[in-house]
Amino acid sequence: MWLGLVYWMSFFWVSTEVTQGIAQRIFYVHVPAAWTSFLAFGLAALFSAMYLWLRDERLDRAAVSAAEGGMVFATIMLTTGPLWGKIAWGTYWTWEPRLTLTLLLWFIFLGYFLVRSSTENPEKGKRHAAVVAIVGALDIPFIHLSVIWFRSLHPAPVVIKPEGPTLPSDMLMTLLMSLGAFTLVFLGLFLLRYSLENFQYEVNTRSRHASV
Amino acid sequence: MYRNQILRGILVSIVSLMGAGLLLAQEVSDLPGDQLATQALGRPYWHVFIAYAIAIGLIFFWVVVIGRRLLKIENKIRN
Repeated sequence: MWLGLVYWMSFFWVSTEVTQGIAQRIFYVHVPAAWTSFLAFGLAALFSAMYLWLRDERLDRAAVSAAEGGMVFATIMLTTGPLWGKIAWGTYWTWEPRLTLTLLLWFIFLGYFLVRSSTENPEKGKRHAAVVAIVGALDIPFIHLSVIWFRSLHPAPVVIKPEGPTLPSDMLMTLLMSLGAFTLVFLGLFLLRYSLENFQYEVNTRSRHASV
Repeated sequence: MYRNQILRGILVSIVSLMGAGLLLAQEVSDLPGDQLATQALGRPYWHVFIAYAIAIGLIFFWVVVIGRRLLKIENKIRN
């Protein structure tokens, strides 16, 4: 319902930006998807680091659940961004720093799933994948700072900046509502996915005991 | 039962998107002709619709993937 309200606000309530017109409304799904994917990949890295330290299987299951959500939201970010870019910049894609680093992050986490499933020893696969997740998450601060450090086509941050947000209040409200909705959707589905992963583990363990 | 809930969710989303599209089309048709021409409405509108459809579509895709995995485990328990 919250997501429905966000869609209504984005289409009918918020004012249209003067220079870009209607295409700027992609902002209200593109930016929250980016933030949510960074949150998900950050959680995946945190759980992975804790897994390497404590060797608790539940932490690995939480990491893979968060990484899966991160891939979903990163894919939303990487598909909605070019649609907006085509209108704003005249091209779907350009190899500028932020876009390139974001695509790199997506491929690193694709590698995370490939590494997990590519080893004969599952424990080894989990450990290697945990390292990939930590390395991948190190890319996130660089993505955020790339528009400040390098000459970039991508707009600079308009919310997270030292002097505070510079968006008009209705745009900021719509963005924050959308951010809240995307975060809640992610957290809800992440918990569902994590429960499923635990459930599958229980079923596999019991069927193994039953066969013995 | 779970599959029915997913299908119902997809149907509600499609109908909502179509409703939003119709309302927007109505809004566009009320604009004076010169504004329609200067804003080049067709192309940006399609880009916005596709972007929002991708967002909701991918989230539903994840829900469906989770649901299918749950069904698979339930079938395994039954067998």
